[in-house]
Amino acid sequence: MNGDPSLPTYPTPGEALRLDRVTKSYGPRRVLDEVSFALGRGERVALMGPSGAGKSTLLNCIGGIDRPDSGDISVAGQSLSRLDGDGLSRLRRRAVTTVFQFFHLLPTLTAAENVAFPLQLLGVDRADRERRVAELLAAVRVDHRADAWPDELSGGEMQRVAIARALAPGPDLVLADEPTGNLDSATGDAILELLARLGDELGFALLLVTHSRHAAGICSRSLHLRDGRLCEGPFEA
Amino acid sequence: MNGSPAEARWLVLLLRQTTWRHWRRRLGSTLLLVGILAHGVGVFLSIRLASRAAVSGFSLFTESLTGESDFLIRPVSGDSLPEMSAREVRQRLGALPVAILPVVEATAVEVAQTLDAAEPGPLRLLGADLVALRNAAGDSVPEVSGDVGLGRDDQAFVSPDLASRHGLSAGSVFDLSINERRVSLRVAGVLRNDPLRPAVPPHLLLMDLPGLQQLVGRPEKLSRLEIRVADGIDAERWRREARRILTSAASDQGWRVETPEDRREAVAKMSRAFRLNLTVLSTLALLVGVYLIFQALEAAVVRRRSEMAILRSLGVGAGTIRRLWLLESTVLGILGGGLGVWIGWAAAQVTVGGVARTVNSLYHDTATRSAALHPTEAIFGLGFGILASLAAGWLPARDAAETPPAQMLRSGSRARGLAWLARPGWGVVVGLVAFAISWLPPWRNGAGDGLPVAGYASAFLWLAALSMMAGLLFRPLSRWLVGMGDRYSSLVVAGSQLRRPTGRHRLAVAGLVAATGMSAGMGVLVHSFEGTLTGWIGQMLRADLYVAPAAANQAGAGSVLPAAVWRSLAADSDVAGVDTIRRLPVEYGGRTIRLAGSDYHEDAARVMQMRWIEAPEPGRTPQALRAVADGADPPAWINEAMSRRFGLGRGDAITVPTPAGEKTLSILGVYADYSDEGGTVLTKLDRVTEWFGDDGVSNLAAYLKPGVNAEVVRARWQVALPAASIRENARLRADALRVFRETFAVTYSLEAIGVAVAVIGLGLALASLLVERRDELATLKSIGFTRGQIASAAAVEGAVLAAMGLVAGLILSLVLGDLLIRVINRQSFGWTLDYRVPVGLFIGLSLITLLTSATVSAWVGARSARLKGDRSE
Ligand SMILES: Nc1ncnc2c1ncn2[C@@H]1O[C@H](COP(=O)(O)OP(=O)(O)OP(=O)(O)O)[C@@H](O)[C@H]1O
Ligand SMILES: [Mg+2]
Repeated sequence: MNGDPSLPTYPTPGEALRLDRVTKSYGPRRVLDEVSFALGRGERVALMGPSGAGKSTLLNCIGGIDRPDSGDISVAGQSLSRLDGDGLSRLRRRAVTTVFQFFHLLPTLTAAENVAFPLQLLGVDRADRERRVAELLAAVRVDHRADAWPDELSGGEMQRVAIARALAPGPDLVLADEPTGNLDSATGDAILELLARLGDELGFALLLVTHSRHAAGICSRSLHLRDGRLCEGPFEA
Repeated sequence: MNGSPAEARWLVLLLRQTTWRHWRRRLGSTLLLVGILAHGVGVFLSIRLASRAAVSGFSLFTESLTGESDFLIRPVSGDSLPEMSAREVRQRLGALPVAILPVVEATAVEVAQTLDAAEPGPLRLLGADLVALRNAAGDSVPEVSGDVGLGRDDQAFVSPDLASRHGLSAGSVFDLSINERRVSLRVAGVLRNDPLRPAVPPHLLLMDLPGLQQLVGRPEKLSRLEIRVADGIDAERWRREARRILTSAASDQGWRVETPEDRREAVAKMSRAFRLNLTVLSTLALLVGVYLIFQALEAAVVRRRSEMAILRSLGVGAGTIRRLWLLESTVLGILGGGLGVWIGWAAAQVTVGGVARTVNSLYHDTATRSAALHPTEAIFGLGFGILASLAAGWLPARDAAETPPAQMLRSGSRARGLAWLARPGWGVVVGLVAFAISWLPPWRNGAGDGLPVAGYASAFLWLAALSMMAGLLFRPLSRWLVGMGDRYSSLVVAGSQLRRPTGRHRLAVAGLVAATGMSAGMGVLVHSFEGTLTGWIGQMLRADLYVAPAAANQAGAGSVLPAAVWRSLAADSDVAGVDTIRRLPVEYGGRTIRLAGSDYHEDAARVMQMRWIEAPEPGRTPQALRAVADGADPPAWINEAMSRRFGLGRGDAITVPTPAGEKTLSILGVYADYSDEGGTVLTKLDRVTEWFGDDGVSNLAAYLKPGVNAEVVRARWQVALPAASIRENARLRADALRVFRETFAVTYSLEAIGVAVAVIGLGLALASLLVERRDELATLKSIGFTRGQIASAAAVEGAVLAAMGLVAGLILSLVLGDLLIRVINRQSFGWTLDYRVPVGLFIGLSLITLLTSATVSAWVGARSARLKGDRSE
């Protein structure tokens, strides 16, 4: 699959994400220029490109935080353009979750509570919730720090908790904008490996913005964004 | 609002897991916030409760002895009815089954107390037919028989309070002074409080009717008749019939018929304007609380901005976040309101004394010493607290809801504030409107009480106008600062902030404009009041000694210096001359006003000077008239309150009822009178004496011969008249000023609160302004700005904002002062005051505000410079 605009416009059952000629401008400047691509279920793709190329802008459009000027985005078969603000919020609660460069844990919640929080928003009952949180914390290997406050965690631990939180609602698609950007390279590599392992286990698709060469190891392909245009290519920084 | 169960669940979840934890972590500031709100609600409620109590405390017991009277018959002028009135009523009502209870009222002073320096509490004496009263009122009046009081002028029943205070019981002897005569009474028994009737007032003595008439030297005079219709299926018809008959005879007989309810209402009406103004002032305390809570919630939103952004990323909707903050405000409102209700109740117990004293001296007798908390008042207070808190939380909640998800959150994204504040030009328009409506007349109720609605509206608009206009200062000030920056880089940084002011900058300035405007405006009023009064008192009080029956308060006309007493003082060999005045209540235009008769010392060089609102022609002042013949009608001068309330002025005629028939007087002038807001008609003493057949005077001012020592004369007179209040000039001036200061005690405390709020509010505003910019401050530091430079840039910014707020705020205070003096006071009290600016207060306020704001900003700046800017928490 590639950015070919002639792809069928209906969502295929197996798709986690489909972009169809997505365009976005800030003033006269076209940051995204007819970007089209799709992600299969469970597929992991690295999004690369120079600074200012529009990577974060693209992720924001997919996460329903920003709206494209034209074109369509669908996640798990649902078209974002038909959703209102509430609908987009609903989307972020379940189908598309994000892992951030700066972790963004809620400061008043412990590690376990941060992971439980999206489940509480979804109304999952306590027993199921606790089971899921315990599983996830074990999977990201911070179960020994479950009751710690965010400001008591190391950067790597914070990112693991943030990943567990992103995975808690069972998303179809996880967006990660330079998740290792704020970590040393060894820790960063470990985080990427963790994402890959969990992706294999849980079957979510991953769109990963990264400058790390190591990303090659965990992604099936890479997309390159340059001057708002997308091209598929080999891994290179 | 969508009220889905999921939504409710989230709110509870967020409240528990975020808001509540923040509160716990910052327990101090949370408690402070609750305290501020509680304080606002408390002040508001306490003043409400106190003024309500002061009115309801109006001695209902003494107004209706039986507690069940259907009507009261009172004199339409003066303070007595002839005893024949009782027979007259009986005859007119014929066979109707009614009981008639004649009552005499008098005042006395406890002798033991008058020797204390403390103000002696007047005692109230009531005389009634004890047997009839017991039949009507039941057990609260003890069993009476011939040997415990009937017909005796030396025995009395005393109130439980009096009994316990002086350890009295049946048989004890009790000394008092009545009409400057010393009398010993034997206690016949102690009255009992009956839960079903109004409480027995603390200072009450009850005597048999003829006994009291004899004792006060007013045989065959009554104060009122209480009329009670017998129970029965026809009671309602009898009541209507009796009222019709009595009312139709009223004008012939010189009496007026009212129900105890009428009476209570009339009394409440008298001080309504005063109480309303007090209530409006107390809402200021609440407004001020709203402002602080607003600032504090804004600061919390700024602090928790990144958390809101994360919540948004996790799929929490903007609406949910707004409702979360409103919920937070509500919870604060409940806590603060609840605490405020308690504080208000407690404070009312203290305030009630002051309010009661003012009501006592200006309006009517009140026995209130404590204020009860009605459940409705409690709910009202709580509701007001919640409303105030919600109002304060509205903008911050909107702000919080506008937070974008974390992906989009840029450092330096700033609160929008209020759009209209960014329109300084409109401020000018609003100011013009405010100016125009300040000239509208007051809204008046049926009884002529003025309510300065337009005045208050104008004040509010001016506040908005100057808050907007303050924005005009941003550009010139920032330009000037940046221009100075060649030498000081801190100034460039500060100036660049003000060049593009954010909504928060404007809000901070507007808040300061409001707070300084209100507190300094109150200062203008109080200062003008004090200045005017000091001058007035100086003009009015020029005699050496002032004598009044101690039992008198200003409102109670009941007690007098009998002719024998005041004539002997006037004839004293040390006395060069005297001024005398007699005041009596009369009905006019549906309310009770005062008819006063005065006579002045002949020495034109020394006699008091009145302050004229409409001056009489030369030689037509009350002081000069002794030498000049009257015109066709007896002369009258009316005070300003009378003039405004009834629209009367020089050249008009006024007809008042007297026991000698209706009298028409011609008004020669209108004078200022800051001791009365009900209305007084002043004429010559000999006329009043003639019309009312009573030659006592309400008080006397004596001018001593040159070289005579006033203190010596005072001491000599005091021995002869132990119960009288005899004061030297200086003492009376001091006492008079003290009464006015007490009246304004509430405003002083509001002023202090206003200043504190201005400063704290500005501090909070500056803190959130800088916290919001901490990334920027961190950047400044990273490019080599020292912490000291950052702190000084912040200090300059804070001080400049404070200066802007001060300039506009002080202008606002001058305008508000003018409104309070020219419009509000004049319309509601009928008092004209001179405008005076409290320069000292202005300077002090400016210094405190500038210093505090610079210090707080420097401190916050220095702290922010230490924080890392690149992590969310
Ligand atoms: N709100 C905005 N207003 C104006 N221009 C914007 C806005 N947001 C982003 N841009 C511009 O769009 C372009 C793409 O920004 P984006 O953040 O998507 O880049 P990026 O690829 O994520 O870069 P980086 O690797 O540095 O994070 C940039 O040139 C940026 O200046
Ligand atoms: Mg980016």
